[in-house]
Amino acid sequence: MASLSAEERVALTDAVTRLLADHGAEADVRRSMETERGYDPDLWRRLAEMGVVGLTIDEAWGGVGAGPMELEAVMEAAGAALLCSPLLASGVLAAELLRALGDQDAQARLLPGIAAGTSIATVALTGEAGTWTEDAVSVTAEGDRLSGSASYVLHGQNADVLLAIARTGDGLTVFEVEAKAAGVTVTALPTFDHTLRLARIAFERTPGRRLDGEAWPAARAAMDLALVALAGEQAGGARRCLETTVDYAKDRFQFGRAIGSFQAIKHMAADLLLECESAVSAARRAATRLAEGASDADAAVSLAAFACADAFVRTTADAIQMHGGIAFTWEHPAHLYLRRARADAQLFGTPDAHRERFLEALGA
Amino acid sequence: MTLAAPDQSLRDEVRAWLAQHWKGLPRPAQAAVGWTSTPELRAWLRQVAQARWAVPRWPQAWFGRGLSDGEARIVEREFAAVGAPGAGQDRANLWANTLLAHGTQALKEELILPLLCHEVGMCLLYSEPGAGSDLAGVRTRAERTGDHFVVNGSKVWTSGAATADYGMLIARTDWNAPKHKGISFFFLPMKQPGVEVRPLRQITDERHFNEVFLTDAIVPAENLLKGEGEGWGVLQTALAYERSVMGEGARGARSGAPESKTEEPLIALAREAGVLGDPLIRQDLAQAIAWRRLNALNTARAKAELAQGASSPVMSLGKLAMSRILHAEARLRTAILGAESLLEGPDHPRAEDANFLTLNAYFTSIGGGTDQIQRNIIGERVLGLPKEPEVDRDIPFRDVKSGKHTSKI
Repeated sequence: MASLSAEERVALTDAVTRLLADHGAEADVRRSMETERGYDPDLWRRLAEMGVVGLTIDEAWGGVGAGPMELEAVMEAAGAALLCSPLLASGVLAAELLRALGDQDAQARLLPGIAAGTSIATVALTGEAGTWTEDAVSVTAEGDRLSGSASYVLHGQNADVLLAIARTGDGLTVFEVEAKAAGVTVTALPTFDHTLRLARIAFERTPGRRLDGEAWPAARAAMDLALVALAGEQAGGARRCLETTVDYAKDRFQFGRAIGSFQAIKHMAADLLLECESAVSAARRAATRLAEGASDADAAVSLAAFACADAFVRTTADAIQMHGGIAFTWEHPAHLYLRRARADAQLFGTPDAHRERFLEALGA
Repeated sequence: MTLAAPDQSLRDEVRAWLAQHWKGLPRPAQAAVGWTSTPELRAWLRQVAQARWAVPRWPQAWFGRGLSDGEARIVEREFAAVGAPGAGQDRANLWANTLLAHGTQALKEELILPLLCHEVGMCLLYSEPGAGSDLAGVRTRAERTGDHFVVNGSKVWTSGAATADYGMLIARTDWNAPKHKGISFFFLPMKQPGVEVRPLRQITDERHFNEVFLTDAIVPAENLLKGEGEGWGVLQTALAYERSVMGEGARGARSGAPESKTEEPLIALAREAGVLGDPLIRQDLAQAIAWRRLNALNTARAKAELAQGASSPVMSLGKLAMSRILHAEARLRTAILGAESLLEGPDHPRAEDANFLTLNAYFTSIGGGTDQIQRNIIGERVLGLPKEPEVDRDIPFRDVKSGKHTSKI
């Protein structure tokens, strides 16, 4: 994948930040999260027009042809604003799976719609175990008919196209399935993070189209890019959350002084700054190594996965504590960030699982 | 790299000078880290200073050339390219820079050149038993008598005190002024009867530092930097140079995450101890290694941001991060070894290491500003949070409480 120049990357990120300031403010997020689909189609269209949805999709298929570094940068802005969208499901996970599989026909068929945002795709990857590991795949295929179920499918209820990983006689294979095909049952899952959409998808002798390519390596590649995107979102979200908390600590007076002047608060803020800045470093490093196709990209992505997940959860949790009572109310946005952080820390594997993978990547 | 014409001619001048004069130094002087002061090194440094390459940012009158920072970097790069020491002292020589900024004409004439040539040994006389984190609370007194000051008190955490010729001293000269305003800054001659140096035995059983007892020690009035009562400002200058040198050191660290071909030492230890399969140990291993790598990544990012001219909040986080790393690694070593960590001595080097590192981690989490002070600095200077109210800031120092009492003078 190519990369934009540093200036172009900054310009793109600034444009996304401005768009989200105008159309993705807290009130917009709250409105979107209460809708059934969970995102604002109008904002989605704008993101697609800007190139964000097809950011890492090849130019031949209508994408921008950028790489992990641009995606990570944009996701920092998206995370800061708690963007509600199927970007991770469609533009990142599904698109990258298609790229990595290398099935040209499938790419030609699906990627233009994904890049334009007119078609939403997602990947049915893990079963009820929710570990996103090879052994958790619980869809099986007999010929071109799928059975079994997948869970925790990102935006499964909004998808037009499902890319399902299934067990076949020859190992794992990716199937393209129309969401409206016979024998597909999509059940929206109630999510703790209201800005997230997950579904359980059951297949009953559902017809699918077998795609060429090695399924699991492609799924890993897709998850690696998704983890880099997620790391950017976590780093950006954590930074924003710390900023607003520090601002509050300067304004909120108790005992005749700003609470931020108390070391009890100040020291928490200093520790969180270390967490947030480390998360930013880790996310950007993972993006760079993945973009370069480096041999240690595995280690860099795993490191970012748990460092950013832990940083986001800790920052958002401590932010509530530092605010005090006001952040215990529904109207205050702090819990929205904590909910997002807790969700992000589970997608594509837990922090503990990523620590294990990191150690394995180091040869231990 | 292309340089503008004047820069090009400067570079050529440095190159030509080095080509003519730099012949390398005998082996022992070219130690892997730093330079030990040998006669050959001192002779070389004198040549460098007299040719005005040691401190090119400084004015003509003091061995300088009045160069800009960018021009001076060209000089430093040329010296670095051939491995010659002595350049860049206008950034890195804490003693000479402090003296140049605030010293009397007489003292500068006496010491600037010897300082640039490492011909005088120096030490720091800042901390006291009663003034650690709160450095402005120093109680060592300096009283003026004619053309000199008489100094009484004690200083602590002084390295190099036994061999130093001068100590940069902060002492209280006015007990009626508020704490920051009654302090003066001196170059105290160390080799005199009123100065007693006692090595300090650390919790690691090492002796890197000293206590320095000052009993009617004499310091000439010309060794006072700036004015009486203006020592706090001088100290800030000195601390800024010290931090910038420490910062340079940090910035010179490995860029990006290490990609060592050899195994991480902690993994090797766990493997050797037979616990690499323990899932709890594995989690802690991953986390400890991660913290070290994250710190390297932060440093590399800060360096890149500074190079682009942006200020970076990340630079100030390194010390706090390192405390956490060192304590965590020591804890993990102990967990890996289990009961073996009960032991010490040459037959038990792994235990010896774990136990030493456990104790020595405090060197970083206390020395050079405790983690708690560091968090205050980050909170206040980086995040812009307000300071705690200071009850002792604007009252005469003699009324400031020390323990349960006010100062007795």
